[in-house]
Amino acid sequence: MESQPVAGSLTRPCIKCRAQEATLDSRSQTVCRDCFAKFISNKCIKQIGILGKEIRTPQGSTRRYLLGLSLGVSSTVLLHLLSENVEFQLARSRAAPFELTVVYVDSSCLFTPRSPDDSDEDKPDPITAETLEQLRQRYPRFTFQRVPLATALGLRTIDWSTIPGLTAAPSPSPSQTTRLLSLFDHLPSAAARADILHILTRHLLVSSAQTAGCHALLLGHSTTALAELTLSETAKGRGFALPWQINDGPLSVASYPASVPPASLLVYHPLRDILRKELAIYTALTSPPLTPASPSHGAGNNGSIEMTPRPGVVVSHKDVSIDDVMFRYFAEIEGNYPSVVANVARTTGKLLRLLGGGEADGEPKQGLCGLCGLCGMPRDEVGDRRWRGELGIGEGEKGGGLCYGCERSTRG
Amino acid sequence: MAPALCAICKTGRALIKRPKNHTKLCKSCFINIFEDEVHHTITSSQLFYPGEKVAIGASGGKDSTVLASVLKTLNERHGYGLELVLLSIDEGIKGYRDDSLETVKKNAVEYDMPLLVVGYDELYGWTMDQVVETIGKKGNCTYCGVFRRQALDRGAKMLGIRHVVTGHNADDVAETVLMNLLRGDLSRLSRSTSIVTGDNKSEVKRSKPLKYSYEKEIVLYAHHKKLEYFSTECIYSPEAFRGSARTLIKQLERVRPSAILDIVRSGEDMARLVPGESASSCGGCKSKTETPVAAPEDDAGGCGSSNGRNPGGEMAAMDKQLRENEEAEGLEVDITKLVLESKNRQKEKQRDSATKNGGGNPKPTTRQVLGKCQRCGYMSSQDTCQACTLLEGLNKNRPQIQI
Ligand SMILES: [Zn+2]
Ligand SMILES: [Zn+2]
Ligand SMILES: [Zn+2]
Ligand SMILES: [Zn+2]
Repeated sequence: MESQPVAGSLTRPCIKCRAQEATLDSRSQTVCRDCFAKFISNKCIKQIGILGKEIRTPQGSTRRYLLGLSLGVSSTVLLHLLSENVEFQLARSRAAPFELTVVYVDSSCLFTPRSPDDSDEDKPDPITAETLEQLRQRYPRFTFQRVPLATALGLRTIDWSTIPGLTAAPSPSPSQTTRLLSLFDHLPSAAARADILHILTRHLLVSSAQTAGCHALLLGHSTTALAELTLSETAKGRGFALPWQINDGPLSVASYPASVPPASLLVYHPLRDILRKELAIYTALTSPPLTPASPSHGAGNNGSIEMTPRPGVVVSHKDVSIDDVMFRYFAEIEGNYPSVVANVARTTGKLLRLLGGGEADGEPKQGLCGLCGLCGMPRDEVGDRRWRGELGIGEGEKGGGLCYGCERSTRG
Repeated sequence: MAPALCAICKTGRALIKRPKNHTKLCKSCFINIFEDEVHHTITSSQLFYPGEKVAIGASGGKDSTVLASVLKTLNERHGYGLELVLLSIDEGIKGYRDDSLETVKKNAVEYDMPLLVVGYDELYGWTMDQVVETIGKKGNCTYCGVFRRQALDRGAKMLGIRHVVTGHNADDVAETVLMNLLRGDLSRLSRSTSIVTGDNKSEVKRSKPLKYSYEKEIVLYAHHKKLEYFSTECIYSPEAFRGSARTLIKQLERVRPSAILDIVRSGEDMARLVPGESASSCGGCKSKTETPVAAPEDDAGGCGSSNGRNPGGEMAAMDKQLRENEEAEGLEVDITKLVLESKNRQKEKQRDSATKNGGGNPKPTTRQVLGKCQRCGYMSSQDTCQACTLLEGLNKNRPQIQI
């Protein structure tokens, strides 16, 4: 850090500390780099503090969290902030506030063309593998894992019998990657593929958290990402489950075949009060700067699309997903009206978390407590019945164990 | 290449790709299925009773023209026993309504329905031209929007008709859902999705039989039935949030045609998740200046600007308002506390609501927490409704009134 200049010599002193040159704009205040970084870090630590109070651990045992890392801006910043928090405590001879496992779900198999003689089942993407290795060295206190997307096929948190394209017996003992690719080939559209990719990624994070015995799953969604998620899930017909998706708190996790009651896992979004553009600024403020890998293709682990639309490239709308549309839309609004963006997630957060409600009619519960077999969110059985009535579609069909949005994504 | 055959009758030539789901249909099967779907909506929602007198809000535009045509067809085909009339509002803008009123008049003759035209002067004692004369061009959108929202109801009431149907389509509803999410206005969200506003007890009930019909299909229907309509280019640009939502919907529809219907579905479901109406009004802003007016319809479309600011300004103004609130109240801190507190409350509430919602009333009930305007009886969250407030000001000949 530079030596402190005399306040009088500053051309534009920081509005907070008055001791350094203000070089950044933070919510219509001009601040210095240090104050900006502190602002970001405080927002995150406040949420971590809230989470900490939710978890009661016996004396001497530590809280255990799992971070979903997409290698994009948001989750990379979250990783850094969590590390800072741990180092801060340790430097004061206190115990580390939590242990952290960092999981990166590698979905590169969906985006790299495979030659027929490609025998290597699970080849890590070289670029992301390198980035991951650098992070491992930079944050040695944390445990890092790379999880191939194809391993999702082995998950018991998904009711695979509900998903078309998998039910038909595939060719003799194909590899998991081949089966995964065939699943995605069966999906009706690019929008559906992006949607299912998000869902599988989330499942892998949830189940990794369970396996590692973690108390909570941390996701890197910024304010902007939560607003995007609000509108894109609405556009996918999943309005009912929105409050379960964007609020922090416990989520039910089913296990199929349904023999045991669903487990519960805390899911938190510690960056929920920070805009995406603020996180982008923050990456340059650390030393050395953070270098997110921004995967060339879409879906990040944290559910947000961290893809920068390349200017001048004309993309057929057939290849664009609903998440892409929302990403671009909010990038524009965030620039000019950041508080409007913040208000979207805040307001939607006030919606009630309801369960399916089918039990009120004394009907036998379908599946596990009315959870969707694919996305795992509560299914809206009341809404399903009304919709069938009002639109006259799917009448006589029995609920397939999927929510409205997942029906749409798997069957079109 | 042989022309594809219709997916329904398998004999006609498939000339139409349905915008809703891209199935390929012949002309007559398309017209049939379009009508059948509206019929299904009407019967499953029990919109009408035999012998009911129903006013069709007729602007001469495509939506209301198609609505009139379809209702006439279905009324005869299925014996609804409805007495249908066309109800048009004349804002009293010289020249503005001339063409569209001509269209409505032609429709009235063709469909053999009585046409009733009610002017702003009869309803409010002021024509829009007179309003503009008094207050100037600036801000007249406020008056137009507020007056228009109530005009159909007031007009129907004046004529002793207790049910008004409007041409709002699926795109309009989807647009309103996204708009209210963007505005953070949950109470409007919960009201905008229901097919009926008001009930048999209220003075005028409103419904939208085309709620599930795609705008593009309405255009196709009008085209293939050779219906004459007037493409109304609204003279005012839409408010920023609605315009923004409209653009977004068009993009989503291109990516996934079902998206419009999917948004409607989400909106209906979310309406049931809104905690008590009054508590949730206008999320975030402490609603001193931004209190949403409790109009039963906020989906006026087109010239529906509720605050008379220039279009781009509306979003900027809200952004500014929100930021001021944050600064004034240290909202960032409060919010997290609120989230925590409400979490515990929600756990209890959840059980209540789950049972409530699971009961025999699956339809979203319109929450009538709204009171009535003490002057005109129109639904309002305040003692005096927005129109009456504006009128009071006009009558005192004051140039500008803060809403
Ligand atoms: Zn400073
Ligand atoms: Zn689902
Ligand atoms: Zn046909
Ligand atoms: Zn009134």
